[in-house]
Amino acid sequence: MSDLEALRTSGAALDEARIVAGLERALSLWRDPDSTVRARLRAEHPVFSAPVLDLGCDLGLRGWTGPALSALRARELPERCRVPEVTAVWLAGCIPTAAFGALLYPLLAGSAVYAKTSSADPVSARLFRDSVSCVDPVLGEAIRIGEDPKVLEQADAVVVHGQDETVAALRARVPIDRIFVGYGHRLSVAAIGSEMDVEEAARLLALDVALYDGRGCLSPSYVLVENRPPGRAEALARALAAELERLATELPRGSLEAGEEAWVHDRRARAAVREGTKLFSPSSSTAWTVILELPESRPAPGTLRTVPLIPISGSEALGPWCEGLSPHVSSLGQGGWGPRASRLAGIVARGGGSRVCPLGRMQLPPIDWHHDGTGPLSAMIRRVDVEDAQEEST
Amino acid sequence: MLDWIGEGALAPTDEERFGSLALDLFSYQYRHNSAYQRLCEAYGVEPGMVRSWKEIPAVPTGAFKEARLATFPEEQEVRTFRTSGSTTDLRGELHLDTLDLYEASLLATLSAYVCPEGNPIRFAVLAPSGAEVPDSSLSHMFDVAVRALGTPESRFYVSAEGWDPEGLLGDLRHAQEPVALVGTTFALVHLLDLLASRGSSIVLPEGSRVMETGGFKGRSREVSREELHSSIEKRLGVSRARIVNQYGMCELASQFYESTLRTGSPTATKCVPPWVRTRVVDPGTLDEVPQGSVGILVHYDLANTGSVVAVQTSDLGCWVGDGFEVVGRAPDAEARGCSVAADLLLGAR
Repeated sequence: MSDLEALRTSGAALDEARIVAGLERALSLWRDPDSTVRARLRAEHPVFSAPVLDLGCDLGLRGWTGPALSALRARELPERCRVPEVTAVWLAGCIPTAAFGALLYPLLAGSAVYAKTSSADPVSARLFRDSVSCVDPVLGEAIRIGEDPKVLEQADAVVVHGQDETVAALRARVPIDRIFVGYGHRLSVAAIGSEMDVEEAARLLALDVALYDGRGCLSPSYVLVENRPPGRAEALARALAAELERLATELPRGSLEAGEEAWVHDRRARAAVREGTKLFSPSSSTAWTVILELPESRPAPGTLRTVPLIPISGSEALGPWCEGLSPHVSSLGQGGWGPRASRLAGIVARGGGSRVCPLGRMQLPPIDWHHDGTGPLSAMIRRVDVEDAQEEST
Repeated sequence: MLDWIGEGALAPTDEERFGSLALDLFSYQYRHNSAYQRLCEAYGVEPGMVRSWKEIPAVPTGAFKEARLATFPEEQEVRTFRTSGSTTDLRGELHLDTLDLYEASLLATLSAYVCPEGNPIRFAVLAPSGAEVPDSSLSHMFDVAVRALGTPESRFYVSAEGWDPEGLLGDLRHAQEPVALVGTTFALVHLLDLLASRGSSIVLPEGSRVMETGGFKGRSREVSREELHSSIEKRLGVSRARIVNQYGMCELASQFYESTLRTGSPTATKCVPPWVRTRVVDPGTLDEVPQGSVGILVHYDLANTGSVVAVQTSDLGCWVGDGFEVVGRAPDAEARGCSVAADLLLGAR
């Protein structure tokens, strides 16, 4: 029996109660800071510091409970639908909770999973598989980690995370009759209105920046600040710099590769030579950088705890600004807009985004979030409609 | 500086002379290059604080895309060289108020390492001329080389219409005297691919040499140095002892060559001219790494009088003996994240 046939059989043997119970127990291991899998994640993850990994699991998985899993299934799996027996998942990036979700969703739908890990993080998916195997070996059998490209042609559904080019290239390899879900290029924006206290905004924003070191598509690549009264944006830049300096000790950034270090220096220099920008950064390290840009400017996005902060005149500037990023926006983290916050969903949608969340929670999407605007389970299934003949005749 | 460069690329190094001129130049550039002054201020550095040339703040190459890094007003500009890229890309710019130093430096090193015999030679240039691409520092270099060191038969084989492979192959086949086949690495690969596709080869006259430069950044096909040099040997009949790689960049007035032609032994180590220093530094701390360790390359070029003396590259290298080897390019910052690649985005700047 081939690997894929064995996987198909493993998935078929699972029922809802067993799946939900198994995943709930596995997730509880991940919520336990003293569990073996958490210790292994801290020891083996190639990108993030242990405090970042711990905080990411503590906060990120808080709502990933059994009842939440059941509710998601109930919301997205109708009684009559076709669930793929095997889903191939091609992972990207290095954020553990994103890898957990990518494996968990097909399993929760009732599909076995064949996952290819990303080159940046070969650890998180394997550890998640181990955690499931630990609590339910049979459920664990429904997760296979590998990198056989033939699976793209053989799986019933394919979910690809990655750059747009990667998604397009893999989509071309998947037979037309299979379900394909692609999650491509995305970035997120923080927008802070005048009604939020600067110190509070800086504290929450620093958490969004520091958690996962600005590497995720939910990390704020830009911070737009309503500069009212004038000088408020600079005050926020200074407060954010102070918070990031504090977090450099409490929540240290992971080590950078040579190209990443060079990128930070390059980015700082590019900001420093421009007239009118202000640079805030520690002199002896690349741990964090805040760049106060010219009003309404559109610099390159930030990452690696390097944050461009752009003063804007008011909420009316948000729409065109986000639209300029279309269709790459993922989330908008916000605070301080008061009643104007009700307009933000429309604004983020103009940029292609699908999520508005409070500042401080950008990296913590709930388990049932509509990733890129689609339900995490419903995207992988095919519904079956049964029309009522009597209704039609009337 | 012209006097010093006039002593040649093989003159002995003089630490005191270099250090003194470098500090003077830094002080001058700090005062007259406002964009550089902003960078120094952001880094909390001013001339009075700098005791050694190694402390001069280096400018990463990306900054040349953002601001005019020049010590003179625009009306005094005689030439601008730009980094390669499409018309929509931001391109780095080197502004020059004189070509004298630039040309003196390039001729000193090129003559020492590509034409060490001191005789005029026939250049076959696999790149466009300066008339075709006036903002290309590479084309300007070849213009100057042909003008100063070339025989009348020297010719450019790339133009706006494309390249002229038949003309080049015909000329190379009929050449009776040594030829210096010079050009971009990628153009050379095209030539070798063409010869391979025809199953043919040429044996260039004895004394011929090949100088390649530029690497493969952004190209669809890459070949290793070993594969390239082996192919040159096989298809053009030029031994490895007569193949020289040049390392240069738009932001620097000076270039670096391997000593292969001078010594007769193939080497990948780049020689540093007396008026230039290169440091290999840790990419995070910017502290110098031990000999043999890999870091990013920072060059201090006294021929860069009109811009900045210290330029920080994204090239990885290590110090070997009296020179350095380039081992690659630092990978993109976004490689390990899942957020959008910075420079891919829209009209971002």
